Amino acid sequence: MAALNRPTPASLHEYIWQQEKNSRSQSPLLLSPEQILRYGAIVGSVIQCHSSMDRTMDQARQHISDLEKTGVSVASGTVILADTLIRSKGRFARSWHAPLGGLWGCLILADTFLTRARTLLPLTLGISCCEAVRELGADKACVRWVNDVLFSGQKLAGFLVESFHSPHHDETFHLLGFGININNTCFPDDLENTAVSLCQILGTPVNLHDFTLSFLAKMAWNIGLLAYEEEQELDRYYSSEEEKSHLLLDQWKRLSDTLGKRVIYGYDIQKKPQYEARVIGIRPDGALIMRLDDGNEIIEHSGELHYL
Amino acid sequence: MSEEIDFDAILGKYHSDPYSYIEICATQTGRVSFKIAEGDTVNSPSGEWLHIPGSQLFEITRERNPKLVTAKINGTISSVRTELEGQFVEAGEKLLTIRHPLKKKEVIEGILKEVLYLFPAPERAKYFFSLDIQSRIEKKGAKALAINPGDEIIIMSLMKRDTPIYYTGEAGVIHSVYFTPGVSVDQGQPLIGVCALDKLPLIQKVITRVKADWDKLSDPAHLEE
Repeated sequence: MAALNRPTPASLHEYIWQQEKNSRSQSPLLLSPEQILRYGAIVGSVIQCHSSMDRTMDQARQHISDLEKTGVSVASGTVILADTLIRSKGRFARSWHAPLGGLWGCLILADTFLTRARTLLPLTLGISCCEAVRELGADKACVRWVNDVLFSGQKLAGFLVESFHSPHHDETFHLLGFGININNTCFPDDLENTAVSLCQILGTPVNLHDFTLSFLAKMAWNIGLLAYEEEQELDRYYSSEEEKSHLLLDQWKRLSDTLGKRVIYGYDIQKKPQYEARVIGIRPDGALIMRLDDGNEIIEHSGELHYL
Repeated sequence: MSEEIDFDAILGKYHSDPYSYIEICATQTGRVSFKIAEGDTVNSPSGEWLHIPGSQLFEITRERNPKLVTAKINGTISSVRTELEGQFVEAGEKLLTIRHPLKKKEVIEGILKEVLYLFPAPERAKYFFSLDIQSRIEKKGAKALAINPGDEIIIMSLMKRDTPIYYTGEAGVIHSVYFTPGVSVDQGQPLIGVCALDKLPLIQKVITRVKADWDKLSDPAHLEE
C-alpha cells in the first residue's frame, strides 16, 4: 500500500530554499542563511515513505546493512517515514503509540561530527520540532531538557537518538528517531492525560505533508548550525580566540522552559526518580546544572526531568 | 593470568603498606595556589549523589579563569610540591600525592583488577546493560553469563543519545561490575571485569584467601572494613 505522507527530496529542497530561507533571513542572526542551510543540505537527500512498519530505527539499521552488503554506503541525511508504526517504542523499551496521523520517522546521519557537536546533536530534534509547531500557532510549546516537546505540560513529541556501527564497513551512524503527535487524537489510557497532538492544540487538522517539510527544513537549519559552529570552534582553536556562545544552545535557551524550573531528576525517571532540585543553568556541552536543597550544585549529562 | 598466584607475596605487599598513593596533576595549564599542606587529611565527595565536593586541594588560574580542584578520594597528603606555589605549571604536571588507606574490599578489587580483563568506558557518560544482557543477568546472574568479542553488552548514554558498546576483550563471564546505572563513569574507568570461564575457580580462590587471611594478619589500626 502506498504511503499517505509522501514528501520528496525535491519538494523538501524547494521548501528549504524558499520558505525556510526567507523565514531565517528575517531572524536577527548576523549570518548568511544560505551558508547555514548549505551545511545542513544533506537532510532529506533520500526520503523513503512507507505506509506501515515495525520501527523506523530498525528499518534504518537494516537499510544501512543491506546497502553495505552490495558495496554501497547509505546516503547521509536519508529520512525514513512511516504513516503508522506497529511496534514503536521509546527509551528503556517504553511503549510509544504511533497511529495514523502522526509524524513518525528516522533521520540517518553519518558520524562526521566532532565531540561537542555530537553531544549537542539530540538538541536539534527538540528545537526543530518546537520551531515548527510554534510557527503553526502553538506558541506555548516548549522544550524540556534534553529534547522533549511539551505543550502545557503534555507531551507533544518525543525523540530517540541511537548510534549504530555498521556491520560491514564499520562506520558509525546516528539514527535520529522522531515521533510527533500531529493529527492523531486518540491515545491509550495511560497516555490520555499526558500526551497531546498538534491538531488538539490548534483545534483544526494540520497538513501533515507541509508539517513534515517544515520539520525537516528546520532540522537542516539546526544541523547546519552545528556544522557552522564546528567551523567557528576550529577557527578559534587555531587563532586562540575566546569562546563565544553557541548558536544552537542559544536557540535551545529561547525555546526551553527548563531553566529556573524545580524538577525531579532521574536517569530513568519512570522507574527510579532520584532527587529534587532547581535547574540553574546549562553548560556549553549541554549538561544541566542543578542546585539541590542543601545548596550544592550537581551537573547531569544525561537523564530525564519531571517538572514540579 | 597465571595459574599460580603467590598469595603470600600479594598479601604481604598489601599488609606492609596498606595504602594506595594517588598522584594529583595539574588539570590545565595555569598558576597554581595550594589549599592544603603535607599531613593534612582530605575527604572524598559525599552526599547521597556524591554532590558535595571533596576537600579543596588547589586552585589553578589561567587567563583570570580560576579552577578549583577538589579531592576525589579520602586520605592524607603525603607530599606537596610547595616549590610550585604561585608558579605557572603545565597541564599534567604532578602537584601532590594523597595516601589513601585501603579497605579490605578495595584490596580484593585491587587484586582482581590485576587478574581480570577490564573493559573501559569509552567516554565520560552513563552506562547501562543492554536489554538482552540485563534480562539474562536478572535471570541467571552475571557470573553465569558468557560474553564474547563483538557482543553488544552495554549502552552508553550521553545527552539522551544511546550508543551500543560492543565488547572487545577476551571471552569469559562478567565477574565484576564497576558501574551503577544513572551514575556517570569517567573515560577510561573500568565498566566490567571479565574472567575466562576456566579461571573462575582461581578468582574465587583469590577472594576467599584474601578474606580469610587479611583479618588474621592485619593491623586493625590500619584497616577499615
